Amino acid sequence: MATHFSPCSSSSSSSLTFSSEFTVCKPRRYCFSKWVSQVRPRIHARNHFRIKSSNGHPLNAVSMQEGLFGLGMDGTPLAEGIKPEEQEIFLDFSDSEKVQSTLSITVVGASGDLAKKKIFPALFALYYEDCLPENFMVFGYARTKLTNEELRNMISGTLTCRIDKRANCEDKMEQFLKRCFYHSGQYNSEEHFAELDSKLKEKEAGKLSNRLFYLSIPPNIFVDVVRCASLKASAANGWTRVIVEKPFGRDSESSAELTRCLKQYLTEDQIFRIDHYLGKELVENLSVLRFSNLVFEPLWSRNYIRNVQLIFSEDFGTEGRGGYFDNYGIIRDIMQNHLLQILALFAMETPVSLEAEDIRNEKVKVLRSMRPLQLEDVIVGQYKGHNKGGKIYPGYTDDSTVPNNSLTPTFAAAALFINNARWDGVPFLMKAGKALHTRRAEIRVQFRHVPGNLYKQNFGTDLDKATNELVLRVQPDEAIYLKVNNKVPGLGMRLDRSDLNLLYRARYPKEIPDAYERLLLDAIAGERRLFIRSDELDAAWSLFTPLLRELEENKIFPELYPYGSRGPVGAHYLAAKYNVRWGDLSGEDSQE
Amino acid sequence: MATFSSTHCPSYSYPSSIKGGKNQRLAFSSSFPRLSVPAEAKFFLQSQTSSHQNAVLMQDGAVATKVNPVEKETPLKKLKNELLSVTSSEEWDEKGCFDINENESTVSITVVGASGDLAKKKIFPALFALYYEDCLPKHFTVYGYARSKMTDAELRNMVSKTLTCRIDKRENCGEKMDQFLKRCFYHSGQYDSEENFAQLDKKLKEHEGGRVSNRLFYLSIPPNIFIDAVKCASLSASSGNGWTRVIVEKPFGRDSESSAALTRALKQYLAEDQIFRIDHYLGKELVENLSVLRFSNLIFEPLWSRQYIRNVQLIFSEDFGTEGRGGYFDHYGIIRDIMQNHLLQILALFAMETPVSLDAEDIRNEKVKVLRSMRPLQLDDVVIGQYKSHTKGGITYPAYTDDNTVPKDSLTPTFAAAALFIDNARWDGVPFLMKAGKALHNKRAEIRVQFRHVPGNLYNRNFGTDLDRATNELVIRVQPDEAIYLKINNKVPGLGMRLDRSNLNLHYAARYSKEIPDAYERLLLDAIEGERRLFIRSDELNAAWALFTPVLKELEEKKIIPEYYPYGSRGPVGAHYLAARYSVRWGDLGVDQ
Repeated sequence: MATHFSPCSSSSSSSLTFSSEFTVCKPRRYCFSKWVSQVRPRIHARNHFRIKSSNGHPLNAVSMQEGLFGLGMDGTPLAEGIKPEEQEIFLDFSDSEKVQSTLSITVVGASGDLAKKKIFPALFALYYEDCLPENFMVFGYARTKLTNEELRNMISGTLTCRIDKRANCEDKMEQFLKRCFYHSGQYNSEEHFAELDSKLKEKEAGKLSNRLFYLSIPPNIFVDVVRCASLKASAANGWTRVIVEKPFGRDSESSAELTRCLKQYLTEDQIFRIDHYLGKELVENLSVLRFSNLVFEPLWSRNYIRNVQLIFSEDFGTEGRGGYFDNYGIIRDIMQNHLLQILALFAMETPVSLEAEDIRNEKVKVLRSMRPLQLEDVIVGQYKGHNKGGKIYPGYTDDSTVPNNSLTPTFAAAALFINNARWDGVPFLMKAGKALHTRRAEIRVQFRHVPGNLYKQNFGTDLDKATNELVLRVQPDEAIYLKVNNKVPGLGMRLDRSDLNLLYRARYPKEIPDAYERLLLDAIAGERRLFIRSDELDAAWSLFTPLLRELEENKIFPELYPYGSRGPVGAHYLAAKYNVRWGDLSGEDSQE
Repeated sequence: MATFSSTHCPSYSYPSSIKGGKNQRLAFSSSFPRLSVPAEAKFFLQSQTSSHQNAVLMQDGAVATKVNPVEKETPLKKLKNELLSVTSSEEWDEKGCFDINENESTVSITVVGASGDLAKKKIFPALFALYYEDCLPKHFTVYGYARSKMTDAELRNMVSKTLTCRIDKRENCGEKMDQFLKRCFYHSGQYDSEENFAQLDKKLKEHEGGRVSNRLFYLSIPPNIFIDAVKCASLSASSGNGWTRVIVEKPFGRDSESSAALTRALKQYLAEDQIFRIDHYLGKELVENLSVLRFSNLIFEPLWSRQYIRNVQLIFSEDFGTEGRGGYFDHYGIIRDIMQNHLLQILALFAMETPVSLDAEDIRNEKVKVLRSMRPLQLDDVVIGQYKSHTKGGITYPAYTDDNTVPKDSLTPTFAAAALFIDNARWDGVPFLMKAGKALHNKRAEIRVQFRHVPGNLYNRNFGTDLDRATNELVIRVQPDEAIYLKINNKVPGLGMRLDRSNLNLHYAARYSKEIPDAYERLLLDAIEGERRLFIRSDELNAAWALFTPVLKELEEKKIIPEYYPYGSRGPVGAHYLAARYSVRWGDLGVDQ
């Protein structure tokens, strides 16, 4: 089991049994015995390659694993570019052979916030869990002048040990830090990247080299870095992959332009566009729930589902970091990517397999079946200052990094529709906002009312108030629960809604890994399932671009809502227009 | 949480009984007077000859010697005076009543066999609980009837020992108990004496004081005297102007013929709608909830058919044996004692089509249809067992035949497993497995619904070779520790892609802090209200016997030897082979249940 996309924490023994408990030490044993963690991704890569080539996939799909670099650099035919890895796979899986390959992870923008808070800790966690290959190194790259020691110092401040296994944590941390290095350079200097390349080569010592670049930098220098890295610091005989973070443009045109520029230097399958929401445990579990349980799939259509709600809220504002945000706004920052990605996963048809291309093909189909968003189906809001309990919470425009006349939405609600056979007429409602009363991300599925309900007298006049609802709470406090109507025990016949519950904290005491850990691991393994393909990105932008443009051209004024409130009431009217009631604000959510 | 209506007993508290469900009940209740005894029934006198001479010990009578006649008069008088003064002056203003004529109508509940075990343990406590919850009408009287000589005070004394107060509201409990006991009376008489019942009638009339009188007789007596008691009660103690209803307990015969004879005999004195055949399993909270789950949720009904359900398991187990009370049991055996009634009733509720309404006749019509669509049970599809003695940790647990009330060579099954099939469009080919046993390793009653495997499962390779081990399963645990849970496949959080089965859970103890009422409370209340939904109609009973009678006969004629299993074990392994034959795996004995 789990061999498919998880090189790491599943053990080979578990493939034989359908285990009902999770023991943390098992994977450790198996992973750390070196081979397993390294071999699996390659086996996978081979399968992947075979499937592609034998199926004659279209060119926009991934037609090869890697190697266009080879072509660009020295004219090696594409197939040759793959050969080394292919051959290697057919070799004996012996320790001596394995030592021949190395992995270097270069974090470009190493002194940035994301790098410090997420990337290095995720890398350490992977190392701690024995999920990284034996020969790996981590390079920080940024403009700041730092020594290796200074980088290590900086990193070590943010590394934490897993709550549930602290053993040897200090040791491990030290070992990890020893493999971290720093190289200072300009982002647009080919020369500096060439220096990096020679440092990397030195460490690789002639072994097969695989290189992963994580671009944790502002979008305006994406292309420069990609150019320099690709021309001067690509792996000569292994793969080279680049992880890029949002924003991927700010509309269809700029996104297409970015993609075009990236593709001058990289092939599609070298680009790993990260959407960290796709690495969240419950989002991952969404497909498992749908496709490995009999009880959900029959209900997964317009016949039974009345509406779907995708809800994201943060309980803080921009807090002095509004510069980036003001240029994008909540729709670009959350909806167009995170929520839309979840929607696509939720609504897609059953893919042919769990292969990345099969899943992404289905997601693109969903996106392309959707109507572009209409202005009247969107409401935007912006938080204003609020004085509560003697404490003053600032308005969005009070942020000194935000222009005083900014109309950028910090809240948005939208109704989307998928015009296909499965979902015709079912409203998919999205809601995302900053500075709201809670912090949460969840998917709510409201089912239709029971036709000809025998118990309708017990429900009063509004049958829709008593419908079933499935809630997947992505964060915080991961949970799945299904609201069912139930008889209240007692002599009467009173019904109420109870929850069939699965609270992760209670069921799985183990700490849930951060989304970045999974995504980094997948990128290393070449598993593209959770990364966004170019055509997906295009389709996503084409849904939102006309609306975004209209909002900006017409200077639509956002509805102001107080910091810490439940958001603008306009969201309720939007929902009401489609006979929907927001599940998170209904007052009967037992989780509140 | 939303509450859709807030009555706690269906029709006695007014403010919130405006919802239609309640109106139905109200409608029912207000039609009581029409349902009185048909006059012609009174003319048939002699059919008690057909009653069976069952070897059942009488449950009552042992107390007789303790009665002291001298004490009889004074306390009774005193209490009567108190009672009269109470009834004339008190106002239970907080409770409504189900009848417009509330001041003119009375209900008297006569427990025939009042000194028996069931009466003491279940019936009186249930009546008190109903009283405590204000679910009894304003004017009610409880009469104990048995052969023992007892005073009212002695009865009260006996009853008071078994009354308990609800855990969740103890206030005034002592006071309430006193008030309740004041309304309890005793009349001693023979079960076959019309004269004694006529005396009872006189006493009842006295209490009724000229109001509309409704009378409920609870027959807590051995089956061989059912008919006698019914005859006497009906002829000599029927209500003159209200309704008269009779609750009877199992056994309702021991095969098609004896059951039909019993029904025929009952019907000489009672109309169908006067007979309330009780199956206390139908009063269990989770069995009640079964229909709510199915019919008030959208998500279950689409799955409720052969297309999605692979098999259904109805499991009953007790962790004790006959413990010196094997006399009755040995004559019946586990199949008659548990399967043919409790489990089959649950099966019928589970499998029935959506009824036209929640009215009793609509529901019972659907249940009969299920029973009539079933194939009679085949001998091949049954496994029987009997427990043998077992020594564990120095304690020796006795075998069934070690019980001195059981014949040494008894072949009576104390365990049985059976596979049943419903040959209709919804359930064709779906095995319904039943299992019931005594002296097993635990005590439980549950319904398990195993779903089919996911066709074309994308996660095939995560499950190993046996896809059926990873299917969804819905479990409704009736007792103990009521719960509903749905087993789903889930990703184990972590970096790999491992799946396991987790539960979507509803644990009653955690969700509902209120104590769950005993099944008898609900059933008594329903009988008083004339709600017949949870009682078994004659044609239902016939259909149920028709399924089991051939196999019971065959078992007895062929003297099939039961498979022996140790006391406290998981039962005979034969049950697994039976299940395997239909590609079923018992859900309760799996590792991850």
